[in-house]
Amino acid sequence: MSLNGGPGTPTRPQAKPARTIPVALFVIALIVVAGAAVAVTSVLYTPKPASTPGDLTVTDDLGRTVQVPRDPARVVVLGPSIVDSMYRLGLRSHIVGVDCYAAAFGGLTADYSSDQIALWNLSQSMCVQTEPTFDFEAMINETPALVLATTIVSVSAVEMISSTYNIPVVMLQPATLGGIEVDVSLLGTIFGLDSNATAINQQLQVELGEATTVATNLTNSGATFPTVLVTYSTDSNGYWTFGPGTFGESLIELADATNIASNSTLPYPELPGEVVLVDNPTFVIYGLGFGLNLASYQSAPFWSELNATQNGHLYGMDSNYLTEPDPTMILEGLPELIALFHPGVTL
Amino acid sequence: MTEGVPGSAAGALSVPGTRSRRRALWGLLLGVALAFAILFSPIIGSVAFDPWLVLRIVFSGGGALFAPCTAGTVSCHIAKVIVWQERVPEVLLAVIAGAALGISGGTLQGIFRNPLADPYLLGISTGGTLGASLVFVYGIGETDANLVLPLFAFLGCTATGGVILLAARGRYGSVETLLLTGVALNALLSSILTIVLLYNPIASLQVDFWLLGGLGSATWQVDGVAFGVILAVGAILAIHGRELNLMQLGNDVAQSAGVDVRRVRERLLLLTALATGTAVAFTGIIGFVGLAAPHVVRRLSSSNYRTVLPGAAIAGAALLLCARDVALWWLPLTPLPIGIFTSAGGAPFFLYLLYRRRRATTMGGL
Repeated sequence: MSLNGGPGTPTRPQAKPARTIPVALFVIALIVVAGAAVAVTSVLYTPKPASTPGDLTVTDDLGRTVQVPRDPARVVVLGPSIVDSMYRLGLRSHIVGVDCYAAAFGGLTADYSSDQIALWNLSQSMCVQTEPTFDFEAMINETPALVLATTIVSVSAVEMISSTYNIPVVMLQPATLGGIEVDVSLLGTIFGLDSNATAINQQLQVELGEATTVATNLTNSGATFPTVLVTYSTDSNGYWTFGPGTFGESLIELADATNIASNSTLPYPELPGEVVLVDNPTFVIYGLGFGLNLASYQSAPFWSELNATQNGHLYGMDSNYLTEPDPTMILEGLPELIALFHPGVTL
Repeated sequence: MTEGVPGSAAGALSVPGTRSRRRALWGLLLGVALAFAILFSPIIGSVAFDPWLVLRIVFSGGGALFAPCTAGTVSCHIAKVIVWQERVPEVLLAVIAGAALGISGGTLQGIFRNPLADPYLLGISTGGTLGASLVFVYGIGETDANLVLPLFAFLGCTATGGVILLAARGRYGSVETLLLTGVALNALLSSILTIVLLYNPIASLQVDFWLLGGLGSATWQVDGVAFGVILAVGAILAIHGRELNLMQLGNDVAQSAGVDVRRVRERLLLLTALATGTAVAFTGIIGFVGLAAPHVVRRLSSSNYRTVLPGAAIAGAALLLCARDVALWWLPLTPLPIGIFTSAGGAPFFLYLLYRRRRATTMGGL
């Protein structure tokens, strides 16, 4: 039996499109509301002119040419390494906002250690959320005249800040340790603090020079450089570490030691446990902070078999010293490592 | 959802003698191949040792029976530690976990009369993942991570299996109900997992790695526990071949032949949850072994569940061991998680199965 009508079945009259008018009205209302929102937004936020007389033209670490105001009073800084340089230059009061994660992801503590937050007097109210999504409103709310950013900020966000909101963005992401001095100089130029920048760079030169002297003396005396594993995380397979081209490795080499991961093909490899045991480093440096402590590393493969463990050559170090290319890395991290690797040497 | 298994059980029960002998030969060859693979796999690792040295260490029981190398030297000590404390336990864990997944897959394919069933179908693995994620999120037992993590993963698996079992005991405990309960439970647990991990990005990363599967947690103690559980569970599963054969002919036929279908199903579900939970607890999620292993046996040997179940255990062990060896041979210094290799090999196999089923259906049935 068919449920459909047969040839002789009377057809149902077609329903009239009675909803056309309400739908049309709804669409018109949507357009009006959207237009009004755009108009209100443009009134509330008026972009500043692209440049004003007296602006500086600088080239940042990504090779971008940027027009920046001289000595801007309100600066948003997106990256702990830049905050470090600003603080050492005496520019803390210029910082009105810093990068952070969403509150549920840890807020400031997701990117800044508790020591840094205390030292630099950072507070949650300065939080400009960069992860998991960039909060442009929070940044604009700080009315910055300049944004200084590392590459934790995506290219699309940089474009948005500089093009749409017309706020100059200077990217400070040195590729080498030498680049730290360049960035300090650049900040000195922007804020009219060239002499402060020169003083900091001279300190950096002194530290680097002393490290070279230590290396020369060790080489001349026939001493061998200790082998080192620097790990910032472990799991049941092995040790996450710094490979070639990373600041972590540069720091180890500057501290006159040999990185056991220097032959890796990856910048941040996970060395299998058995490779670490065969290389058997003299020292193991493990990253601290961000919820990590010695216990976090003790279940790593062959941990108890390593010479470093058996000889007590395990050393916890603030992860920021190993990962953030800033003056603190050289002025505090480097001497700490040299003192550890070469205890008889005084700088 | 309840289509017949390729090669009907009825046919499988009346195999001519010659074919039976040939299939037994295949089984024997598979077993011998696995034995050789177990013996030689410790040669493959991140560090290259002299193969003879590795074999001497293995045969000497890590130096317990005789000295495999010059005693007292650092290189000998390190080689012994690496081979005997890491590689051999890893190889054995691959065998044990592979066998667990293989026999569980074979059993579930029999229970559901569905060749696409595998140990993760019912959300048991998602329960394990949720259990493991709690360890990462709340930092539970940080100093005893090697013990706490598998324990929570195992509890997650078995708790999920328990819920499904309750569904099976209910009035509506048909095969379809079970499957749909598993699918719904999987979705529910996945959403809870997402919420838990959403606010813990670091834990989320750790769970992601765990999900890729690995043998890194292998120790002699782990192997001992896993071996004990899998041996006991596997032995009980393996003796249910006759019941599963009869269940392929329909519940009524099985019932009339004296099989208490519901009780057998409940028992087998509980045992597969235990076996899967044990494998997941120590290796994370390793996909496709449970799906592929029973089919390898069917292709090479027989669809008789008396053969499929033990055969799937051997094939699963061999598959996982091969995946471990390939992973280490390909990129010894930065080995990829083993789960990537089983999935990479298993996915094409899965597609092949689908294609074969479709073609067989087009040609007039399987």
